[in-house]
Amino acid sequence: MAGYLVGIDVGGTFTDFVSYDPNTRAVDVWKNLTTPKDPNEGIVTGLGHVKDPSGIGNMRLGTTIATNAILERKGAIVAYITTEGFRDVPFIQRGNRRSHYDITWVKPKPLVKRRHCFEVRERIMSNGEVQTPLDPETVRAAAKAIKADGSIEAVAVNLLFSYVSPEHEREVKKILEQELPGVPVSLSYDVLPKWKEYERASTTLADAYVKPLVVRYSKTLKSRLKDKGITDHVVLIKSNGGEMTLDAAANAPIQMTVSGPTGGVIAAKHIAKLCNVSHLVTLDMGGTSTDCATVINGRENFTTDFEIEFGVPIQIPMIDIRTIGAGGGSMAWIDKGGMLRVGPQSAGASPGPACYMMGGTEATVTDANVTLGRINPGNFLGGAMKLDAAAARKAVETVGKKLGRSAEETALAMVRIANNNMVGALRSVLIERGLDPRDFALLAFGGAGPLHINDLMDDAGIPSGIVPNYPGQFSAFGFIMTDARVDTMRTVQMTSKRFDQARATEVLQSLVASGLEDLKAQGYTKNIEVHRSVELRYLGQNYELEVPIPFDRFDATTTPKVWEAFHQLHQARFGFNIPREIIEVITIKATVVSLTEKPAFKTIGKGAGAKPLNKRPVTFTSGTVETPVYDRGALKEGDAITGPAVIEEPASVTVLNPGRKLKVDAYGNLLIGKLAGE
Amino acid sequence: MTTNLRDMDMVTMNIIDSTMVSVCREMGIVLMKTSYSTIFNEALDFTCALAGPDGEMISQAEFCPSMIGGVPLLARSCVREFKPGEIEEGDVIVHNDPYRGGLHCPEHTMIKPVYVDGEIMAYAMSIGHLVEIGGMVAGAFAGEATEIFQEGIRVPPVKIRAKGEDVEEVWKLLLANVRTPRYNYGDLRALIAAVDLGEKRLVDLIRKYGKETFRKTIADLITYSEARMRAEIAQIPDGQYKFSDTVEDDGIEAKPYTINVTVHVQGDEAVIDYTGTSKQARGPINGTLGVSWSAAYNAMLHMTDQSIPRNSGCFKPIRVVSPPGTVVNVDYPGPEVGGNTETHCKIAGTIIGAMAKAVPNRTMAAEGATHTNFVFSGYDKAQDETFVCYAIELGGWGGRSFADGNDATDAINGNCRVVPVEVFETRYPWQTMSYELVQDSGGPGEHRGGLSTRRTLKNAKVEITGSQMSDRHRNQPWGLNGGQKGGLAGTWYRKANSDRWQMIDEAFGKVSASKWANIRIQPGDSMRFQTPGGGGWGDPKKRPRDQVQEDLREGYISKDVARKVYGLEAGGGD
Repeated sequence: MAGYLVGIDVGGTFTDFVSYDPNTRAVDVWKNLTTPKDPNEGIVTGLGHVKDPSGIGNMRLGTTIATNAILERKGAIVAYITTEGFRDVPFIQRGNRRSHYDITWVKPKPLVKRRHCFEVRERIMSNGEVQTPLDPETVRAAAKAIKADGSIEAVAVNLLFSYVSPEHEREVKKILEQELPGVPVSLSYDVLPKWKEYERASTTLADAYVKPLVVRYSKTLKSRLKDKGITDHVVLIKSNGGEMTLDAAANAPIQMTVSGPTGGVIAAKHIAKLCNVSHLVTLDMGGTSTDCATVINGRENFTTDFEIEFGVPIQIPMIDIRTIGAGGGSMAWIDKGGMLRVGPQSAGASPGPACYMMGGTEATVTDANVTLGRINPGNFLGGAMKLDAAAARKAVETVGKKLGRSAEETALAMVRIANNNMVGALRSVLIERGLDPRDFALLAFGGAGPLHINDLMDDAGIPSGIVPNYPGQFSAFGFIMTDARVDTMRTVQMTSKRFDQARATEVLQSLVASGLEDLKAQGYTKNIEVHRSVELRYLGQNYELEVPIPFDRFDATTTPKVWEAFHQLHQARFGFNIPREIIEVITIKATVVSLTEKPAFKTIGKGAGAKPLNKRPVTFTSGTVETPVYDRGALKEGDAITGPAVIEEPASVTVLNPGRKLKVDAYGNLLIGKLAGE
Repeated sequence: MTTNLRDMDMVTMNIIDSTMVSVCREMGIVLMKTSYSTIFNEALDFTCALAGPDGEMISQAEFCPSMIGGVPLLARSCVREFKPGEIEEGDVIVHNDPYRGGLHCPEHTMIKPVYVDGEIMAYAMSIGHLVEIGGMVAGAFAGEATEIFQEGIRVPPVKIRAKGEDVEEVWKLLLANVRTPRYNYGDLRALIAAVDLGEKRLVDLIRKYGKETFRKTIADLITYSEARMRAEIAQIPDGQYKFSDTVEDDGIEAKPYTINVTVHVQGDEAVIDYTGTSKQARGPINGTLGVSWSAAYNAMLHMTDQSIPRNSGCFKPIRVVSPPGTVVNVDYPGPEVGGNTETHCKIAGTIIGAMAKAVPNRTMAAEGATHTNFVFSGYDKAQDETFVCYAIELGGWGGRSFADGNDATDAINGNCRVVPVEVFETRYPWQTMSYELVQDSGGPGEHRGGLSTRRTLKNAKVEITGSQMSDRHRNQPWGLNGGQKGGLAGTWYRKANSDRWQMIDEAFGKVSASKWANIRIQPGDSMRFQTPGGGGWGDPKKRPRDQVQEDLREGYISKDVARKVYGLEAGGGD
């Protein structure tokens, strides 16, 4: 009998669990409180919900432990080793300010003290030539100082031009391992083999900074799970949406910086396949923030431009998820000139919106939705939490008085402004990348996403919408479908004028080989998929476009196709190209994926027409109308609803505007708009 | 004020304003990602804005602040050059003329009309610093120019594209007059791509809300921002606030030039008066009219609420008195290339210094106030073309009543990023020997000034010709409220196989150490650039002891300074 799959997403307030039993094909979802003091506690007690934990064959975990350690500056004391003359790079940074007229701005501090920075004698030039060989005595001197300090828990090494030639960094590591046994060492080449020394320094420092913590965490987790009888496959989710073993995570912890939110995107890939939709844009709206990402032709988009906070880049490959500070808890306020604004300040989970009755008095987006009748105060979180509609209205009214508008008008305006903030996030992943919203379907999840899906389809010009099953635990749901994934890349710097096809081919093939090796070391050998690409730009530009390459060697036939594809992509992305210009090849990339077995979900059976539970007044832009209320659990395949309507389920509410059509598919997904035959 | 604001549709205003800001940001991203010069794509020395049909700025995104205040004057002077109806759909106008609203020659502006149903509803604008524009030195910063004609090609508003097609004659003229035509072509294309995008997005926005709503909303937004700015100024105590600073020399004569500022605050208006400022210099430190406005706006925006939508309305309660023929408002044909980088930040800093008594929590001691502009050129054999580079450096920011000055931060009129060593060495024939913070360069204070930087370069390959436009080699950044001065800047040269560092005036027989043109640097020669530190705020003896000790442990200050200036007891910090 195959063991079942469990996906766990450790969030700020709740830890979400989803399990799938391959024998019965049954899915179960539940929640447990997150336990920040001992992050493993909430996981282990949550697993108590499972009758026989030893029957878990595969457990996948998304966690913010690395991110939180950086944001709260609770990581290790680290040392930084770099090329002679450059120890101040982490302090100088790039010199620009977060906001250009803000005289109060304080520059971010790096994750290392200046007195813990050491220089070693060596120099590699931009073409890889060794100008000054590494002087091992300088490394030993640094090791001695680190030992003498006594407080250092991890070391980050970042030498100039290591992305061209990692030899010196590797030598440094060898010496440090001799001199400082047991102290983890992060090499910039392993963490981020890419140019720009500050960005690489920041990323490598972050890796070293969280390493001791993650090592401890995965060790404890392993033993706590073992006590429960779970010894099989336990993995963590990386920022690129792939999974990695606990040992691999302890070795490269920076890979899990943005772990949790990737689950939503992985699950979105599944929904795209299930619903046969080629272009999906996701909207994960929670209490304090909203995440957006895209899935195009079954593929998610990746980025290496991430900053964990302004001026602190962490540039590992990760799923490109844009986050904005707008959610159900976003508070309304009136600025000094009388303009209504919503967020980015949030009431969070505590004190929470006014309607939570937990001490919050400010009007939030959730309060606006209660005032508009969109949220049923008696059926929030499946009735587990009672909301105070009068408190919501009172808070909204207080704002309204300052605007000279009624509670309904104010609530509508609040929702409109919050929606516009989210449209900005949708624009940033669609229009700003040259993608046309009309080609997309909007997949809304998170507790609040389905509430806003219909308005957002209208405001962003997206013709279709989908509300998936388990919108409140969607990330954890995604984790039962992850693959193992390793991204590899190398900076090469060649041009189309002098392109060394043999060398490029060799690099490409060695990247694939090293990716395969990495997977094999973690035990993944089956169902391998390889994706290859190059990053190109016009000679003189500084930012690259990634061109996928559907072959494994560069030759007289394939190479010209790469150049042509770049010109076309430049035209599509930026509205122009320069046909005869020299093209620069910056990075060659290969991604190796080991596909895992995916759940086969059950269909829900055909329905005989949706019947509303009851009716209640709900306010839309067009006015307040008696609106039918449906129970999502009772809907079956083929059931069709025309708005106005609200569809309630334990973790969320879907609002259907007047005239909009909705249809239920075979798996229970709610299809809206064009997908519902509009 | 509130009564007339009440009639506005604040919700639509909020939505249209934030959408326009996102359009400007998107324009900037295209510019950053497609441009060729590192001053664009790494340093981000550009801006993108939207103007109404009357040339009023209606929106901007946060890129280079010095250009923002220039937008209203630029747009108006550009549009004024054309007869009614002469600007057609699909046209793009290029412009760089400092005597027609520009801030300095290298800054090229592209303006594209946004037509909806045969009517101009707005203009999309992109402004960026082109590194090479011809003239007496490669890279525009001719530290010894005495006329604008030596500073590069002057482009009055002309169409570079007409009805969607390139105007080939204009392209030929522009590219024939510069040393790096391939780069300029790429940068100009990027600027055009930005306004094309801005136009497209704005047309979508206007069609969505309708022309009337759009027209009313942008007018309301300007009124709204003006009202907000008036309310801010009204909170500042009425009075006359005076301050002055100097530019140490002009590259031609070894004497200082005074910037004199009186800020008159009365009710909800401010007048910034530069009367008493030195007559214009023969050398290129003069600011244009655009610079004197932009610097005034820049300073006021630093001292007021950050959340006011950035449009022309912000500037309406601020009047600027800028006597012509002075270093802040140059008369034709005076040279001006350094006015925008060196004088601009000193003007803004002087205004902030004047206001220190009135709004102590929104001001700071002097920042470095120079971009340490270093331009150089040579021949790249591998590519068979001339390379020209414009490099900037970061200085220390001034101490504030509530915090230390930031270390290594771009001057107040820019928000540029420094170019990474690995990018710099890949592109240019220098080896960076070291790049470091300068100990003791932060002006001592209860809140100390930010530290400056020092970069040492060695010419690794070919003959290089270099020029500089900088300042603060003699004139230290001032402290406030008992805080002490920040460290001096300096540029040094060392001949191959020598161990002697010399200032440039000494090594090359120049008048100025900080402003000079066309020195030849041979393979093996070295250059060293040190920037100024920020001034301190408050008495250094009042600095908390644990902070002095931490500065000492971190090497930000020396033992000597810790003891003598901060009065740290012997043994403390060891």
